[in-house]
Amino acid sequence: MVSRRDFLKGASLAGVAATAATVSKVAMAALPEIISVSDADTQAPHMPDTGRPYNPVVTLNGWTLPWRMRNGVKEFHLVAEPVVRELAPGMKAHLWGYNGQSPGPTIEVVEGDRVRIYVTNRLPEHTSMHWHGQRLPNGMDGVTGLTQPGIKPGKTFAYEFVAQRAGTFMYHPHADEMTQMAMGMMGFWVTHPKNPATMAVDRDFVFLINAYDIDPGAYTPRINTMLNFNLWTFNSRVFPGISPMVVNQGDRVRIRVGNLSMTNHPIHIHGHEFMVTGTDGGWVPPSARWPEVTTDIAVGQMRALEFKADAPGDWAFHCHKSHHTMNAMGHDVPTMLGVEQRDLKQQLQGLLPDYMAMGQHGMADMAEMQMPLPDNTLPMMSGQGQFGGVEMGGMFTTVKIRKGIAKHDYRDPGHYQHPAGTVAWEVENDLPPVERPADTDAHGGVEVQVRKPGDHMQH
Amino acid sequence: MICMAYARLLLPLVLVSLLPGCATFSRDGGFDQVASTVKAKTGKEIRWVKSEDERHALDARIAQLLQQPISVDDAVQIALLNNRGLQASYAELGISEADLVQAGRLPNPRFSMLRASRDGEYKIEQALTFNIFSLVTMPKATAIERRRFEQTQRQVSLEVLRLATATRKAYFSALAAAQSERYMQQVMRAAETSATLAQRMKKAGNWSTLDEAREQGFYADATLGASRARQASLQATEQLTRLMGLDHTHYTLPERMPDLPAHAEDPANLEQTALQQRMDVQMMKLQTEALAGQLGLTKTTRFINVLELGPARVLEGRRSDPYKNGVEISLEIPLFDWGSTRVARAESTYMQAVNQLAQVAVEARSEVREGYGRYRASYDIARQYRDSVVPIRQKIAEENQLRYNGMLVSVFDLLADARAQIASVNSYIEALRDFWLSQSDMEMALIGKPDFSTPASALTAQ
Repeated sequence: MVSRRDFLKGASLAGVAATAATVSKVAMAALPEIISVSDADTQAPHMPDTGRPYNPVVTLNGWTLPWRMRNGVKEFHLVAEPVVRELAPGMKAHLWGYNGQSPGPTIEVVEGDRVRIYVTNRLPEHTSMHWHGQRLPNGMDGVTGLTQPGIKPGKTFAYEFVAQRAGTFMYHPHADEMTQMAMGMMGFWVTHPKNPATMAVDRDFVFLINAYDIDPGAYTPRINTMLNFNLWTFNSRVFPGISPMVVNQGDRVRIRVGNLSMTNHPIHIHGHEFMVTGTDGGWVPPSARWPEVTTDIAVGQMRALEFKADAPGDWAFHCHKSHHTMNAMGHDVPTMLGVEQRDLKQQLQGLLPDYMAMGQHGMADMAEMQMPLPDNTLPMMSGQGQFGGVEMGGMFTTVKIRKGIAKHDYRDPGHYQHPAGTVAWEVENDLPPVERPADTDAHGGVEVQVRKPGDHMQH
Repeated sequence: MICMAYARLLLPLVLVSLLPGCATFSRDGGFDQVASTVKAKTGKEIRWVKSEDERHALDARIAQLLQQPISVDDAVQIALLNNRGLQASYAELGISEADLVQAGRLPNPRFSMLRASRDGEYKIEQALTFNIFSLVTMPKATAIERRRFEQTQRQVSLEVLRLATATRKAYFSALAAAQSERYMQQVMRAAETSATLAQRMKKAGNWSTLDEAREQGFYADATLGASRARQASLQATEQLTRLMGLDHTHYTLPERMPDLPAHAEDPANLEQTALQQRMDVQMMKLQTEALAGQLGLTKTTRFINVLELGPARVLEGRRSDPYKNGVEISLEIPLFDWGSTRVARAESTYMQAVNQLAQVAVEARSEVREGYGRYRASYDIARQYRDSVVPIRQKIAEENQLRYNGMLVSVFDLLADARAQIASVNSYIEALRDFWLSQSDMEMALIGKPDFSTPASALTAQ
């Protein structure tokens, strides 16, 4: 939860803003204080203390923004500002975000709430806020030039509307979008149904998909990159920095995913099948739901996945694009598979003293070897499980399902203790060694090293 | 012609003529002066080899010096002792000194006799004459020859110092060329390894013929570079061998060139020092003084070219008649203008020398400025390579290695980078060599005309 210290820090920041932005004291007194969070841990759900009751969500590696009730209006204060986000232990990114983090804090309201959100700009350029998916007056839609002027640096704008439809939404700037979204400016919005019993689940996780291109050794994303990102993130975190989703066995679990990256992501769960119960447009009628284990989430879309977590274990949950479960890697590195380098090692080390042969047998060498990397750079695949290297990075985490996890407990229960006989085992193998004749094809003298048993065809 | 016979006059004149002149042959033939100049400027000794024994002693000493890797001082010392061209120039000293001694001696007396007879009538003229005017001119002539001799000493010193500078330059060129050759071989090995891997990439089906050919191309280029470096190294070594007067190349040079000094020298009053020290300036000054002396001599003798005096006996008439004794004096009087033309010639020659001296002085000052400019620039360039370019390339190589560790770049990138890194070290070696060459040139510019004509790049493999 947000600490008292953070509250105080937020308040003092508001004071700084008052002197810097020459907002009248009367106006300042009207602004809710700024609340800020600086660490990237997943915080326990924010239980509503005022306003209508609801079942809160849990933001993966994030938090929910507290509000104040003023004359029956829920008031939030978002501050757009530069932030330092830890993408995973060992790597920090210089991003732009809200209230100390990127993505910004989740906003949770209840269907029918009148909501007023103050947006203060502490960026070096103007910004705005677009409430992605909301029904609202056109002038509240936050498109600079089209529906409002940009919020200049140091200025505060207020947005006010009624959260009309329950569902899953996002917020992000609609001003210099390319820069501001590439820098991590986005946040989650959940409008809960008026009746907390509607579509109720035991655990409700939310995260946004985003992507960054940060050169190894650098800190700031390359904002001009269009597709060739090297860090694919859930809530601006990469594996092993993404929290596990901790679940009590038998819980009904919802995972809400919004995609603000520039490509689609087939999100995949292991050991369970889920239903897509919600999209940007609202709840999917039960008759129209598809059972799936992978659902593709297109750019700018939201999906709510629901499943019954009945199978205990540590279940992988990830994007199924294999490069998206890798961290920074050289996309132009040639394939070294099958290229003997060891006999050249001495000669290579004469020229390159720290050279190690890699890639001949695949990239797993990389995960095994602990070699020094450029500053602020994560290995392309890492993370340790109880059986060794997980060899994953990027958009990968786990759903940890255990018996007896308390209702609001989200602490990592550690590795799953497999019941005896339930782990794949090694069997004795008396097969003859593989013989791979170095036969070459007639055209290019290329060694064909992989042959299917019994395949006598050369091509 | 006045004819007289006076036999008793003969003896004292003969005695005068036998007296030693102002100059005699020195014990060292003027070599010591040269040797001490060379010692002062270079700290090296020189020998004038005049016998087989001396030659053997020298050979033994050189063999001794050649046993270890030779330093630049060793190379200069060997050249100064062993270069045969230098020995030949020492002979100039002997020739010049002989002229000097000659100038200090009285001319030989001249005896003339005429005998004619007809029908018992005789005419006999006997005269012993001596150029007494040479007694007047001798001090001046001696002074002129002494200056000439001093000029020759400086000329020889300058040749020795030129050889020392040429040897220093050849030494650094040879050292750098050998070091470059080793680096170019490293570049070739990096390219060879790339090419080997490329072949395997192609064979494994991972690479196209184009990719493979590209790496083979680097290897081919690197092989050419290594061959050129080998040839440049050979040329530079032979140049050094020639200057050291050796008939073999069985000597070793150190692995590395001397380091760049911590600070560049910033000598004060370079131009003044050059004017005071430069031997070409001194030689021109001596020549001018000599010509001035000659001009004075010419002026003194413009009317009396030759005044010869000697005892003479004349018999005229019958054989039994007595000889008439007397003194013969001959005197030439400039009937035409040849005395003044000689003066005009001498004056022109003198003025020519004066202007030449002025020109030499202008050139000396300019050359020493240029020499220092080259020295200073080459120091700054070498330091920039040492402190900036090479460490940055090293840093790039380290960072690339980290990127390789993270599979962000390939081994081919590392090898290409290794080539670039080696090239930067090689460029530093060349910059360091240029520094030592320009340092030698600057020092030469303080004692004589420097040779800026062999730019370092001429010795560099492309």
